[in-house]
Amino acid sequence: MDHPQTPRILAPNLSTFQHKLVRMLGKVVQLRGESATIDAGGNVDIILNRDAHLSVGRAVEIIGKVDGDLRVKVQAATDFGPAEKIDWDAVKAVVEATHRHKTIFYD
Amino acid sequence: MNSGYQDTSYNSYAGGGAAGGGFIPDGGSQTSPSGGKSYAQDSLRPVTIKQLHDAQQTPEETVTIDGAPITQLTLVGQIRNISSQTTNITYKLDDGTGSIEVKLWVDSDNMDTESSKSKLVENSYCRVWGKLKIFNNKKHVGAHIIRPVDDMDEVSYHLLDATATHLYFTRGPPGEGAAAKDGSASNGQEQYNSGAYGKADLSGYSPTARKVYKYLSEGEQSNEGLHQQAIAAQLGIEVADVARAGDELLSGGLIYTTIDDETWAVLEAD
Repeated sequence: MDHPQTPRILAPNLSTFQHKLVRMLGKVVQLRGESATIDAGGNVDIILNRDAHLSVGRAVEIIGKVDGDLRVKVQAATDFGPAEKIDWDAVKAVVEATHRHKTIFYD
Repeated sequence: MNSGYQDTSYNSYAGGGAAGGGFIPDGGSQTSPSGGKSYAQDSLRPVTIKQLHDAQQTPEETVTIDGAPITQLTLVGQIRNISSQTTNITYKLDDGTGSIEVKLWVDSDNMDTESSKSKLVENSYCRVWGKLKIFNNKKHVGAHIIRPVDDMDEVSYHLLDATATHLYFTRGPPGEGAAAKDGSASNGQEQYNSGAYGKADLSGYSPTARKVYKYLSEGEQSNEGLHQQAIAAQLGIEVADVARAGDELLSGGLIYTTIDDETWAVLEAD
């Protein structure tokens, strides 16, 4: 498989997924040049790559590696539109389902 | 699981066709209403890409997920690569659970999708309807339709839909209380099998109704069937519960009353 599995997680799951590739959907809270903070069930510090174009107030799905300090080093970012239009309960439910019924989501 | 039944429904269909097509009632008892089995074969199943990679192929070439045959399927994923050929466009789709190639055959009938195609770009999400194809152990999806996802909640929705469907097949329909507790996979499998007991589709019936139906199908009896008290005694279930299970099965048309309202026999479809 050319594209590795990227389990969907939220901030509370970060420690379980240290040094692993994950997928997170969150709202951009703050931009600081090379890094940013997103709210994904809690604030998460992310380290941006050059291609990531984030703007505050929008929802973004990132794929990245969780480092030892529980920051996520972004490899790809996809804009998911205005954050207020996202059904965040559904996003949370998906993450819960991913881990509770992992057989259909990741190895 | 039940190939005998499959044959029956296929034969009855073929028979109907030979006799001039359409639904021929005098095809006899064989033209029974199609049960859960053939219904499942024409279902549209929401899946994750990992489920497609884990799908089993039976010797009869049927592909199953969670023990249920699949034909039409739908998935939502992010386009990672697009390669246009003369006869088809191949999209590499990634939904976080794995990736798979989706082939859309170029067809003059598909001209009206031109506008949506312009939105099918790399890294955008799309929804696919199609069938799983296996060639030399390599899987791909032969797509009928691919359209861009406009509302991003559709991604969450689809993954929850796939989970719910997976749970339906591994643990039976919702609302069975204790049965919905996290159990081992084999336990779930058993429940699914019991849900599809015999020729009848018992999904949607209570566990008691399933037991009663099983006993009515297997228990020794005359053609008058069995009295509810005999069933209750034999299964060690309260008569009231058996009566309730009987009501369920009666209203579902799986059993019928014989000499009185409390004596039932299985309604044999063939």
